[in-house]
Amino acid sequence: MPEVIIKNGFVFDPLNGINGEKMDISIKNGKIVEKVTHKAKVIDATGLTVMPGGVDIHTHIAGGEVNTGRMVRPEDHVKDTVTKTAMTRSGTGYSIPSTFVTGYRYSQMGYTTVMNPSMAPLEAKHTHEELNDIPLLDKATYPLIGDWWFVLEYLKKGDLKECARHVAWMMEITKGYAIKIVNPGGLESWGFGHNVHSIDDVVPNFCITPREIMVGLAKVNEMLNLPHSIHLHTNNLGLPGNYSTTLETMKALETVPYHGKPVAHITHLQFSSFGGDSWGNFKSAAEEVANYINTHNHMTFDMGQIIFTDTTTMTADGPFEYTLYQLSGHKWVNSDVETETSGGIIPFHYKKNNAVNATQWSIGLELALLIKDPWKMMMTTDHPNAGPFSFYPRILAWLTSKDARMATLKNCHKKAQKNSLLPSIDREITLYELAIMTRAAQAKALGLKNKGHLGVGADADVAIFNINPETTDIARKYKTARKAFKNAAYTIKDGQIVVKDGEVVGKADGRTMWLNVETTEPCRIDDEMKNKFRQYWTVDYENYPVSDHYVKVKDPITIKASV
Amino acid sequence: MIVLSPLRKFTFPVNAECINPDVFQGKDIAEIGKLPLFEGNKQKKLGELFKIEEDNQDTPSITIDGDISEVRRIGMGMKSGEILINGNVGMHLGEKMSGGKITVNGNVAQWAGSSMKKGSIEIHGNASDYLASPYRGSTEGMKGGRIIVDGDVGADSGAYMRGGLIKIKGSNTGQFLGFHMGNGTIHVEKNASTRLGANMTGGKIIVSGTVDELMPSFTIDSVKAKVKVDEAESAAGPFYVFLGDLAEKGTGKIFVSKANNPNLKSYEKFL
Amino acid sequence: MSIVKSVTCPICGCLCDDIELTVEKNEVVKVRNGCAICESKFLGYKGHHRIKTPLMRKDGKLVPVSMDEAVHAAAEILANANYPILYGWSSTSSEAQRIGVELTEEVGGIMDNTAVVCHGPSILGVQEVGIPTCTLGQIRHRADLIIYWGCDPWSAHPRHLERYTSFTEGRFENSQWKSYMQKLKAQAGQKKLESAARIEIGSTHPKPQTCTLPGMPQSMNKSGRKLIVVDVRKSMSAEMADYFIQVQPNKDYELMQALRVLITDGELDVDSVAGVPVEYLKDVANALVNCEFGVIFFGMGLTQTAGKFRNIEIAIQLVRDLNSRTKFTIMPMRGHFNVTGANIVSAWQSGYPYGVDFSMGYPRYNPGETTCMDVLLREENDASLVIASDPGANFPKKAVENMIKHPLIVIDPHMNATSMLGDIVFPSAFVGIEVEGTAYRMDHVPLPLKKVVEPPKGVFSDEEILTRILNEVRVIKASSKKLSKKVDA
Repeated sequence: MPEVIIKNGFVFDPLNGINGEKMDISIKNGKIVEKVTHKAKVIDATGLTVMPGGVDIHTHIAGGEVNTGRMVRPEDHVKDTVTKTAMTRSGTGYSIPSTFVTGYRYSQMGYTTVMNPSMAPLEAKHTHEELNDIPLLDKATYPLIGDWWFVLEYLKKGDLKECARHVAWMMEITKGYAIKIVNPGGLESWGFGHNVHSIDDVVPNFCITPREIMVGLAKVNEMLNLPHSIHLHTNNLGLPGNYSTTLETMKALETVPYHGKPVAHITHLQFSSFGGDSWGNFKSAAEEVANYINTHNHMTFDMGQIIFTDTTTMTADGPFEYTLYQLSGHKWVNSDVETETSGGIIPFHYKKNNAVNATQWSIGLELALLIKDPWKMMMTTDHPNAGPFSFYPRILAWLTSKDARMATLKNCHKKAQKNSLLPSIDREITLYELAIMTRAAQAKALGLKNKGHLGVGADADVAIFNINPETTDIARKYKTARKAFKNAAYTIKDGQIVVKDGEVVGKADGRTMWLNVETTEPCRIDDEMKNKFRQYWTVDYENYPVSDHYVKVKDPITIKASV
Repeated sequence: MIVLSPLRKFTFPVNAECINPDVFQGKDIAEIGKLPLFEGNKQKKLGELFKIEEDNQDTPSITIDGDISEVRRIGMGMKSGEILINGNVGMHLGEKMSGGKITVNGNVAQWAGSSMKKGSIEIHGNASDYLASPYRGSTEGMKGGRIIVDGDVGADSGAYMRGGLIKIKGSNTGQFLGFHMGNGTIHVEKNASTRLGANMTGGKIIVSGTVDELMPSFTIDSVKAKVKVDEAESAAGPFYVFLGDLAEKGTGKIFVSKANNPNLKSYEKFL
Repeated sequence: MSIVKSVTCPICGCLCDDIELTVEKNEVVKVRNGCAICESKFLGYKGHHRIKTPLMRKDGKLVPVSMDEAVHAAAEILANANYPILYGWSSTSSEAQRIGVELTEEVGGIMDNTAVVCHGPSILGVQEVGIPTCTLGQIRHRADLIIYWGCDPWSAHPRHLERYTSFTEGRFENSQWKSYMQKLKAQAGQKKLESAARIEIGSTHPKPQTCTLPGMPQSMNKSGRKLIVVDVRKSMSAEMADYFIQVQPNKDYELMQALRVLITDGELDVDSVAGVPVEYLKDVANALVNCEFGVIFFGMGLTQTAGKFRNIEIAIQLVRDLNSRTKFTIMPMRGHFNVTGANIVSAWQSGYPYGVDFSMGYPRYNPGETTCMDVLLREENDASLVIASDPGANFPKKAVENMIKHPLIVIDPHMNATSMLGDIVFPSAFVGIEVEGTAYRMDHVPLPLKKVVEPPKGVFSDEEILTRILNEVRVIKASSKKLSKKVDA
């Protein structure tokens, strides 16, 4: 494979402590190397910002739920059509882009790795079929395990080891990457139309509490040595006053033995940081939540930042999506999956002149700015729930520029303006911190050793932006910065230039990563388990796993468990 | 000002969003001829499909002479100006228009006036299905403006209407006229079909002729001597006034001619 | 001889995956667990209708040609067409469907699947109001009120009840099979008594068939799962039901809207709706509201009768309204074994589930405008490719007449009504028997289809045929581009 050298750029590589140093990056055979020969293709990055390719820890881009979202929103697609070119397939965009467009648009913004955070194990094959059709990006996906009957039963029994073995089996056969938990206990309750309202509520028919599920799976995660921690969508998400549930959740997880690596990741934290006790007195609790996070190190988080636009919400949190239906009256999809999980989809328009939406917008940014350590708080929109990922550059501008924040705030509902903490926050995220929040921290939290940095041995995934940190003050020139982040000068994937000046110029499939977890004692896949399988699911045991056939470009990672 | 005549019969759909007074504005014949459009899957220029001539100043901005039943999206989103069509015209005529006037001496195909915001469309022939109704999955119905149809109207017309006026003079309207209507007025001078105003939440539908049957989810409210169609016109009753759709807790009103609908007499006991 | 277990049946939307096949000398000789339709496919797929070689129409007759000749001719037709239709897709794998989208995009045509004559209205209804649904296992474990509306699973989805609904064991609900068997015995006993009575009395006239509604029967008060069937006639499925509601043809919309009013304790100004007295409807409304977990399965009785997609829309709204009182879901009884997959693949690649028009270089979707049936009836197309379906047999006559006025390419294992009309015919292998692949069940669950025998020699998979045509189309287009560049120069 050809050699490439990126010369003279301002490099931001936080995992290796490089903060805007002018240096060359050498690439050979798709990897970062010490140096290359004079035959290398030269990319002149003079005056440009060079970062590792973007890593997105949580974005709904593939699988049954995402696709049902696509199917029910033709009026969304018609706003944003993408014409076929010699290099690219056609498609549609806006809040739920078709698969090819998803790959192109992420890559155009300098992203190279994305994580699909919600996969019903029964429908795993579908998720992988779609991931295959997302070009230019490496990807992985998280199976939904929090309300899986085997997990509920083994944790209830107190048999952590057997639970761990089953989770290991599930991770491998669904070709998953991390343990995803959504509204633990709530999804099983939703099977009969109920929900849980606190982490100590008892799940009907299973006699287990959300606290027991989360702590149990966090311990299981440790036992299995999985690269990421448990990935958690909290109980009571989206309800006024839920910040107390979030605090209780974080406190509960303090009981999990901490060995320097986070024991849990709470996703789209904005939706879990609501104060007040009704929509009428809705307010931000970002300060309370941030204060806790600033004094505790056992967890990581991502934002779930609101964008003011017409988007689509989709989560495994079936009961919450029903609540949104009751509030909005919009078309509502519910999709419960036997034995495993639930799900819901509803279009939602976040408006500046809606006091609640505007406060939500402020919450996400307050969290990001009040949490002192950028390694703890990552940038996402929980695409498409709080907003489509193509609006990321706007968030980068809000984070790095108080002017940008104020310009948006002044058009918001008066109540939100009055209550927002943003006028009192002067902090402006630096380019270095931005690189942490959008690639380094994400890769680190995920345990992806070759992503999110440009040290020797890393995958040659690089993003180059039209920003000269010496001459451009991105805090003042936020519109310029936004434009630069929207259309990367170069996106390089495995050493190949795939995007140039915001246009797709190369073809690449990208790899699908998953975990093969080797337990010391394998899960007892014997007749008893197969029999139980037939009782629990409506498919045969043999037809359940995702075979290698379903992954176009395979990148399995072997993990050795301690159980 | 500009007169277009199709150079031949079109078999493949022609998507002609460029035929629009706002687009033609300020362009000469040569420039208009170069405007791009699709015929089937081939990209062509307007001049390849139409003869383009200039007329005197008093005529509408665009006149089209001939059968253009395969030509779609004429006048889409137009804000001003006039279009006169002497022939049958294709789908999506005047969709999302917010001003100006379209007159058709012929029939129109589906989705004419879809999601109209303002302006007027006069159809001197028949309209097809989905007149004024929004795109799949959208609830943005007609917001304002007037649509007058001399002939019949197809099914699912006036869906999600939020304002404006539709007048239908022909003897047949399809099912589901005024579906999920929220505001605005529909006047059927002759006969309305079944499922009239289904899921209606507001607005009014006036039937001066007959209606086959009303949705069971409407309840009789009163009898009224006449009802206002718009600022200039009233319809003479007496009318049975029905309220609904109860399934949507709606407060829409359907006025049905008492004289022409003896089959509805059984409702009188609830008055 | 070998036994292959856990085979997924490639017939209907049930996608039963517990079929056991005995294979001997490259032939399926025995089928276990399958219904009658499943058995007939696995045992009969090698019938004399099987096409053995590619065919082309020359001088009015279909004659054998080489694969290369057929591929080139098909590619020429598609590459040069102004508005081609690529239709069918429902009886092949998602792997083949993906290539179908790519091919349609390449030739700037319309990709449409059999939903257009089947559950297309269901999709349109869902696009208006969404859908509260679930996977079939949720029904099996939890449902205590099962309603089949406008469909007849006994005939069309024979194992539906025994695998997913009334006659299966779930974690929280039991099978009603025993209760049903007792009812049959009682009915048989009753019939014997009645016929004995007739012989006794000497009457030769059979009792008149009464279609009056008897109101909600006692069996609806039993514990355990209850089965309601709503139909215009007493189907075989209705015979099994605890309560059969006969609705007047084309009046389902009114009936469902009336129920929507009644479940919120509203009052109606009428005495009966769709032929059903309102007092009975009030009982039905109570049954709906008081169940623990209800489900409505529906079919062509709603999608293809007056109202079409609005029928589905109102059914979904009824279920949606019920969710404020109890847990309720709804699901379409998809027909072809992978029509769901065709919608799914089309949606993830283009954003739209069927009737996708690529003629302007990007996907456009508007049933009525871009669906092939309407395109055919308006005579707008100039070429067609039909795969994994049989429109020659089930499209309206006018549409078929218009289809064959222009070149017709057919990909199918069998000589059927469509292939007999084709100009170029490619024999293909059976997905799920001779070719492996993936299909999506009616509840969107993906399942692997197995290859259990080898296809006949010279017969390729849909995937291979489509790939070859796609590659040839690209070659033709590239060379014609070069040619036009030369001409322009």
